[in-house]
Amino acid sequence: MTFDINTIIYILEIIVGGLLVGVGVHFVPVGGAPAAMAQATGIGTGTVQLAAGSGLTGLLSAGLMMSVTDNLWAILATGAVGAMIMIDATMLAGSWIYAYAVGAPFASAKVNYDPITGFSQPPYVAPGTVGQGIPTVCFVSGTIGAAMGGLGGAMIYYPLVQINGNPAMSAIFAIGIFFVDAVLASWNIQGTIEGFHDPKFKKWPNAFKSCLVATAILAVVAVLITPIGGV
Amino acid sequence: MDAFGMGLVAAMGALATVAGASEDIDSDIGSQSNPNSQVQLAAQVGNPHRIYNKAIAGEPPSNALWCTTAAIMAYVLIEGYHMPLLFAVAAGASLAALFDGVMSTSAYFGRSASQARFNQWIYLDIVRYTTPSIMAHVWITSFCICLIAVIQVYILTPHHPFPIPVIGLVWGLTVGAIGSSVGDIHYGGEREFQWRLFGQGLNTMLSGQIVRKAEAGLRNSIDNAWFCAKFGGPCTGLAFGLTVFLDNWRTTVFDPVTQAGAAIAMGLFFVIVMNLYNHYCEVSARRKYGPYPGYKGDIPA
Repeated sequence: MTFDINTIIYILEIIVGGLLVGVGVHFVPVGGAPAAMAQATGIGTGTVQLAAGSGLTGLLSAGLMMSVTDNLWAILATGAVGAMIMIDATMLAGSWIYAYAVGAPFASAKVNYDPITGFSQPPYVAPGTVGQGIPTVCFVSGTIGAAMGGLGGAMIYYPLVQINGNPAMSAIFAIGIFFVDAVLASWNIQGTIEGFHDPKFKKWPNAFKSCLVATAILAVVAVLITPIGGV
Repeated sequence: MDAFGMGLVAAMGALATVAGASEDIDSDIGSQSNPNSQVQLAAQVGNPHRIYNKAIAGEPPSNALWCTTAAIMAYVLIEGYHMPLLFAVAAGASLAALFDGVMSTSAYFGRSASQARFNQWIYLDIVRYTTPSIMAHVWITSFCICLIAVIQVYILTPHHPFPIPVIGLVWGLTVGAIGSSVGDIHYGGEREFQWRLFGQGLNTMLSGQIVRKAEAGLRNSIDNAWFCAKFGGPCTGLAFGLTVFLDNWRTTVFDPVTQAGAAIAMGLFFVIVMNLYNHYCEVSARRKYGPYPGYKGDIPA
């Protein structure tokens, strides 16, 4: 391959995509295993898996869009929207179970009043728990996080396909970079976070720096790889 | 938009709904995901039990493994041996179910044996009649997801550029993430702790105190599947079905080349509607249940 100005642009696009994923994970309200027992606010699963589930759904949408058009903005927007649809459907179905099966009102233990709706939170937090369910602020935060994850995934995928022309290999590499950044961000928030209103959210510059270094190394490797055989 | 494409998208939505439901029930029978922390803990706090205990991995990676295994076999049969699509997918799903059977059995033996010091037994009857049930659900999940991938790659236009194992990997991760986020709450938040006060999350003090008696006799994992299949499973199916259907519907109804803006705007519309619906759920739960009695803080409800 030839190393020219386009290669530098591709590397920059991959780095920006990785940073979007890393910061986007901080917005996704994940409560980990305790949330599955309605013991903590947020979605009852791990940060990385949820971010990956939504971001990679966005990647599938972006891959489909890129096979028919080379309009960058349409590809990026489709990736973001695909990811938002996945995480919203997940959070909504989770809310049905919290509201109609466990029978618990939604409450955050990190703030006294929901910053969006202004609803009071502490009177609704069950004794011995740190909140339960997905209040409006968490839902909106999760939607923003998924949009950033989907956008980031599409932004990593786009230059890779431009370089090697192989969608399958580009997708696998994009999934790999996605996981690296999601795991780094997950360490930064120690596994659980409620969204942008959570005090832990202020730690995002740490994840930003580490994702910058990790993605820069991966981006250089990624642009050098070319497919051995067609799939 | 063509009628055939719409029919295929509807079929994909239906397959995804079935896949989501069976995925969640599989994790409930095997007690695989987040709520398994309580099953693990139960024996350690003096409550040995007859619940199946397989935590091969988190739900998303393990389902990604089954679906990719099925998709790789289907891919080889389709591309290498020109087998019929449906046969190839069924054969792939059978392989995935066999893999799952091996890992589930070893996980149950390993986990239960490691808790021998807490008086936790290995029940061979549980292994005999629960493992085939887990394998059957894995077969359904991987069959449906593999078929969705085959439809996206070979039948639906525009054809998806990824090969079916990559799509199987992504949908497997997604269905696992959804099953882990949605269905687990019904199992962990409700079924495992039915004797605590209704209408609250699990108090940390009650960790490990899972229900061990069933409607008749001692509770086992099939009883849990019976309960969770009523609400947790269908909700998971609905969430995954919505994801697959809405995401593909907008690019089938609107041409992705000439009407990309409309397809994106339609997606944003769905997102806004779901945000509003969640807000409705929150308001309705607060109104119906009210604040917890005994709250002594200063902030009014």
